[in-house]
Amino acid sequence: MSGSYGHRLEFGTFVTPVNASPDTPVALARRSEALGYDLVTFSDDPDQPAHLDTWTLLAWVAGRTDRIHLAANVLTTPMRPPALLARSAASLDLLSGGRLELALGTGESDRAPGGLAAVEALGGPALEPGAAVDALGESVDVVRAMLDAGDPAPVRYRGEHHRLDGAAGGPLPAHHIPIWLGGTDPRLLRLVGATADGWLSTLDPATPDAVRAGNKLIDEAAREAGRGPSEIRRLLNVSGRFTDTRQGFLHGPAAGWVEDLLPLVVEDGVGTFILITDDVATMERFAREVAPALREAADRALPAPLPRTAARSGAVRARRRPGIAYDELPASLADRAVEPGDIDYSRVKSNYLRGGAPGLVLRPRTPAEVADALAFARAHRHLPLGIRSGGHGISGRSTNDGGIVLDVGELNGIEVLDEARRLVRIGPGARWTDVAQALAPYGWALTSGDYGGVGVGGLATAAGVGWLARKHGLTIDHLRAVELVLADGRVARASETENPDLFWAVRGAGANFGVVTALEFEVDEVGPVGWAQFALDAGDPAGLLTRWGAAVEAAPRDLTSAIIMGPPRMGQPAVAQVMAMVDSDDPATIVAQLQPLADVAPGYDQQVVITSYASVMANASDAPHQAQGEPISRTGLITHLTAEFAAAAARLLTSGVVYFFHIRSIGGAVTDVDPDAMAWSHRGSNFHVTAFGRHRARLDALWDDLLTEHLSGTYLSFETDLRPERLTEAFPPRTLARLRTLKKRYDPDGLFRDNFAITPDTASRTTP
Amino acid sequence: MTDYGHDLLFGTFATPTVQPVRHAVDLAVVADRAGLDLVTFQDHPYQPRFHDTWTLLSYVAARTERVHLSANVLNLPLRQPAMIARSAASLDLLSGGRFELGIGAGAYWDAIEAMGGPRRSAGQAITALDEAIRIIREVWAADRPGGVRVDGEHYRVNGAKRGPAPAHDVNVWVGAYKPRMLRLTGRMADGWLPSLPYFQNGPAELTPMNEQIDEAAVAAGREPAQIRRLLNIGGEFSPTGRSLLNGPPEQWAEDLAGLTLEYGVSAFILMADDPATIEVFAAEVAPATRELVAEERARTAR
Repeated sequence: MSGSYGHRLEFGTFVTPVNASPDTPVALARRSEALGYDLVTFSDDPDQPAHLDTWTLLAWVAGRTDRIHLAANVLTTPMRPPALLARSAASLDLLSGGRLELALGTGESDRAPGGLAAVEALGGPALEPGAAVDALGESVDVVRAMLDAGDPAPVRYRGEHHRLDGAAGGPLPAHHIPIWLGGTDPRLLRLVGATADGWLSTLDPATPDAVRAGNKLIDEAAREAGRGPSEIRRLLNVSGRFTDTRQGFLHGPAAGWVEDLLPLVVEDGVGTFILITDDVATMERFAREVAPALREAADRALPAPLPRTAARSGAVRARRRPGIAYDELPASLADRAVEPGDIDYSRVKSNYLRGGAPGLVLRPRTPAEVADALAFARAHRHLPLGIRSGGHGISGRSTNDGGIVLDVGELNGIEVLDEARRLVRIGPGARWTDVAQALAPYGWALTSGDYGGVGVGGLATAAGVGWLARKHGLTIDHLRAVELVLADGRVARASETENPDLFWAVRGAGANFGVVTALEFEVDEVGPVGWAQFALDAGDPAGLLTRWGAAVEAAPRDLTSAIIMGPPRMGQPAVAQVMAMVDSDDPATIVAQLQPLADVAPGYDQQVVITSYASVMANASDAPHQAQGEPISRTGLITHLTAEFAAAAARLLTSGVVYFFHIRSIGGAVTDVDPDAMAWSHRGSNFHVTAFGRHRARLDALWDDLLTEHLSGTYLSFETDLRPERLTEAFPPRTLARLRTLKKRYDPDGLFRDNFAITPDTASRTTP
Repeated sequence: MTDYGHDLLFGTFATPTVQPVRHAVDLAVVADRAGLDLVTFQDHPYQPRFHDTWTLLSYVAARTERVHLSANVLNLPLRQPAMIARSAASLDLLSGGRFELGIGAGAYWDAIEAMGGPRRSAGQAITALDEAIRIIREVWAADRPGGVRVDGEHYRVNGAKRGPAPAHDVNVWVGAYKPRMLRLTGRMADGWLPSLPYFQNGPAELTPMNEQIDEAAVAAGREPAQIRRLLNIGGEFSPTGRSLLNGPPEQWAEDLAGLTLEYGVSAFILMADDPATIEVFAAEVAPATRELVAEERARTAR
């Protein structure tokens, strides 16, 4: 007796892909979805002219359904070159949102005798049954290699039947596409045990022991290959008739079906039943009366209930990092969590500029799930903990190596609360380009950062220096309330009237106090804006910087600008990029305000357009972050771009240490706010300076030597230097003292410590 | 002056990029709603940054209502002709007669071979395409007696069952530039599908190629007008006219009408990856071009 393999019990349908009325199989698939089936499958008989091509039908059905998973039952693999099959599978999986499963066969089976001859007649390869299984095994290898887009090396494969000579792998599918093999040939069963994720066969009531015999062969082959038999899901096509009285196996009332199928679950470990029928009434009755009763009966009969979520394979578990209790993740998080062996890992491990290798990425969808994630993190105090919204932060604190990342990307709603007050509620996982797009139809905008791909949560708890800063202030100046989960798992709301201390702290030091789950902003009316990009001569970098700085400070608040410079390059003129937004739709006003900027140096090129804030923010790629290594940056705030600062900056630029130098204007409306109103207190700063280099020590040495004396304060989101002085630059003594008192109240044990940790005020504590 | 007199078709050619996943789908929906006739996608199966074209076409067909769909053009060497035939008929049946078969002999042989496909010389590739089109048409001919038998150098189909027949008479459009491919087009195809940016000397290069197609058609006992001339085009909408297909929509219409009346082009497929361009093409260029061509055809018919 093989017993249960511990898979979640699933149910599917098996629909004939008739082409005489092509809408019929599509309608049956949609009905399967509506009835709650997990899976709809179609036979694939390429030699059957009365049938639709199964792959075409699967893609069509993917376009007409939302939830149900899709598979052939089973695909005639010899008619499809495996490398192209892999690409097609990845495409269909991506287009369907991760709903494709691959069930492969040789074309020949008990259901389709003569399948190999049909393949040959159609122009496919001539294969004997043994060779057909070998070819199928090679196809599995090729498909797996092509889909493993985590490995960038070209795919080479030398088989008897299939050869790949440096094919480019990918694309990466949306989910791990399991490969199930269909058939009963003993050679195929051994292949299943050695490599497949599942075995798909058809129950013949005349030979009820065939499942058990097949399982035995598969389990032996799995153990020989060093795999656990439980890694292989057992899927069974079944057919029968509902009648009022019991007349035989799967021929009787629903209760009789449950009785007949139960031993297959409990004794033979079948994890998926696929009902062969084109009859809607049978489909309905099975879904409503058999499936739920069978689940209950199985849970009663088995020593432990079957899991409700999918289990991870041995290959995935083998890549787990030490010190993480993966199997103790609460059910609310387990399904969506990403481990190093998971398909989504390459999409979430790294940041915009910082490579990462976290041991576990948790992706909560609700504040309650955030609380669950923090409880898990509290049990893993020995590991780094990153909180990620958009993963853009230059500081890179939202990923780590071997630790936990709490990714709030799914908390990304954008909702207008009160149109008259322009009050908007935004989830921390939304990106600023999405926010700008959502607000544009109202004629509104919320100043953010300068890049649309930045996430809301990280920026709106730090400061938010964007293209409307001088006109409308910082992003945090627009914050009216936040909801967050605190270190101890409590959910709190903070505003000027509710937990005002916490509200004060979150606006500038939010990363130290909790995981924000919603933010409420009062946004601004912003119509069309002027948007300028100048390429200016930077042959005199110091003069350019002082003139640009003076022009910006003298400009009306409508104008916000930034300048980007690089090191001089041999034989090329030094060029600075100047960008500016003017919050006006009047061409004359725009030109008048831009002219002093354009005049700070001879120009090479200029572009001025009247556009929308949303268009300027639509500058972000949707591609997942793929950074490698560590970004090296230093950053600070400054009041005026004095001649002394500019000379020092010019020396930095010619040092060869810095490859990217960036100054953004602040000032204007930012200065209207009381420095003590929020934890971000640098209200006198007119500029934000950042430099990127390639060598940590050399950049630190030069920056400390040349620039630090000119700076007053810093902006931690851009800082990659982790030395403790950075914290005291970010928060002046009075602010830091208050933050330490509050840290003691809200996070006394320092759960949030990996993003420029504030140490709790321990003066009154008796234990260290 | 070679106007073959076909009704005009207007379509799109969007990049089938996998990132963002639904980029090509969304643009196809824009084209469908804007009333364009055709949505097409290039097919480079060795390129992992693109969707599999067949899968994408099938999915897009399910998400659109009126627009016809084609590969531009389908890469033959990595697909079995009999499977192409069945798949094409299936998609035509599912979509209610909205599928057309743009197909090519293949190119980039290193990449095809790397994917496990055959490496073919130019001559072999053309022979293989000839065989494939014969097989495809034989499979579609569901009413003919007997099984499909094509004993070719590259493809052998030995007694496969016929059918299904597509829902409508699916057009076979061939991408071709060289003499032998142009002759194949004239001999067998329902349409010729080149790309304007390929012609370094501009549309004037269409004339000798049209002649080769026409000669091959006549030699095969066909009317040159049986072969629709399609053209992939690129361009830019700008406030003032600068060059061919770079100017305001009115100028585009004049440029395209000229291509119809002088070079016989009756389908314009625009390479575009943004909704605004597609919408201007559908709303302003297509009707104005149709009007200009109708006027000129009426004038010359008098």
